[in-house]
Amino acid sequence: MLNLLRWLVFSIAVLAMNFPVIVTVITSLKSARELSFNPGFWIGEPTLENYMRVLGETDRFNIYSYLFNSTVASLIGTGLAIALAFPAAYAIARSEAGKRTLLPLIINLRAVPLIIFAIPLYMMYQWLGLLDTQLGLGLILTIVNTPLALVILVNAISDVPAELDEAAKMDGASSRQVMLIIIRPVVRPALVTTFIFGFITAWNEFLFGLMLTTSRAVPMTVGASFFFAASGGGVQWGTASAVMVLGALPPALLGLLMYRQISASLTAGAVKG
Amino acid sequence: MAIVNRAEGRAYLTPLVGFLLFFLGFPAAVNLVYSISTVSFETLRSPSLTGFGNYAAVLADREFWGAVSFSMRFGVLTALAECLIGLFLAVFLTPLLARRSYLMAPLMLPLMVAPAMIGLMYRLVLHEFAGPVPYYLFEWFGDSPAFLDVDNAFRTLLVVEILQWTPFAFLLFYMAYAAIPLEVREAASLDGASALKALWWIELPLMLPTLVIAFFIRFIDGFRVFDNVYALTGSGAGGSTTSLSIYIYQAFFKGGAIGKAVAASVVLFLASLAVLYGLNWITGRGRR
Repeated sequence: MLNLLRWLVFSIAVLAMNFPVIVTVITSLKSARELSFNPGFWIGEPTLENYMRVLGETDRFNIYSYLFNSTVASLIGTGLAIALAFPAAYAIARSEAGKRTLLPLIINLRAVPLIIFAIPLYMMYQWLGLLDTQLGLGLILTIVNTPLALVILVNAISDVPAELDEAAKMDGASSRQVMLIIIRPVVRPALVTTFIFGFITAWNEFLFGLMLTTSRAVPMTVGASFFFAASGGGVQWGTASAVMVLGALPPALLGLLMYRQISASLTAGAVKG
Repeated sequence: MAIVNRAEGRAYLTPLVGFLLFFLGFPAAVNLVYSISTVSFETLRSPSLTGFGNYAAVLADREFWGAVSFSMRFGVLTALAECLIGLFLAVFLTPLLARRSYLMAPLMLPLMVAPAMIGLMYRLVLHEFAGPVPYYLFEWFGDSPAFLDVDNAFRTLLVVEILQWTPFAFLLFYMAYAAIPLEVREAASLDGASALKALWWIELPLMLPTLVIAFFIRFIDGFRVFDNVYALTGSGAGGSTTSLSIYIYQAFFKGGAIGKAVAASVVLFLASLAVLYGLNWITGRGRR
């Protein structure tokens, strides 16, 4: 009996929390004609015409370019964050360097609203010619990803027994070799998690995409909102829904595939941090 | 023998530190200079120092205090609701989820979708002609409120934020609840404690550090909210949904009031430092 109640609560929670996603998927499968008289949950004649239109007619809004920009910027933002954080994490885990001030400082960075840096960054980008470029957006996403990457990697490396490093050093390896040849494969799962989590975070970022890009480097989150800018005749809800489904798909798929690792690292980042 | 000696440690930290100094340290310095200068888009490179006029202008601006009030209420209410619902779900659903971990996936899905996208999706969900919510409300009750007008926008946004981020609090509590050693539970039930008593007197106190941390994380995220609010209402609804982040964005991009936007940024920075200091103080005390 109590178990039945648990299933009920679970179902309500899942439906309520995923409600906007469910409605969007349903709407994306309805024709414009059907939408005009049936906004409900039932689909009379399921159709893929909205997806065809989004993927086929790209003269005004090109979804491929948004998807591509998001991919490139997110890859830069994640790869660079790991490249910077991994050696730093190794130094922090294996020596006293940076443990007392740098680590807490960077961890606390997660809680600082990044918008306070946005205006000088905008001006800086103007001087450097980084406005509206994938590289420029990727560099900001690196900052967004660095704190959590550092926490996850410091935790992972600290969990590796230091005897492993010492044995390798006895055999004449330099600390650089130990880091790259011994430790890197051992903490591979943490590196993968960091990458997946960072990629999702980067893909879903909106504020800096909105401020720092205008046309060439617009990411998916910002591009999706273009389809809502009423353009005579109002919003094409079916088309807009298809765009949102396609745009939300990459991080959602990654997340669903890796939800175990992600939940573990989320908790580690929050509690140990 | 140290595994990483001093010089090596410094070398490994340098790229990260350099990157952060360039992308955050420099902007922070620019913020401080501009906040005490008279500056416009024409005089970006030669701001003239004029003292604390920008701060005075910000602190005298009613819209600024409106934004502070919005962010404060939004942060506290959403964090509170997310933690309470998340705690309930974690404790109540654990027997269900412990053996079927795949059930976690649909509960975590909202965390994978961009808040900006969620905001856009609610434009559809709540639209008076195309949205299912007003449609069914009309069908069943003959009336539907205007979810995004001045009176209701705040409450609507609360629900939007809470529904998306309750899974985060739930996840932290679920992990913390599962981490309570079995012996503790057995000892409690041997001593004759009912499930409810064990929860209140033993399990919740053990989870307290996680509860505090989750509340602060969600409060900070709610306080600085931008994406979903901007995507759903802009600063619309008669300015009743201007969060502090949106205030800064508007002042800069729409109003061109650089000095004011920058001064508000510095104020926000100091406020977040104060919150962080409080959090570190609380968790630091808990550890001792």
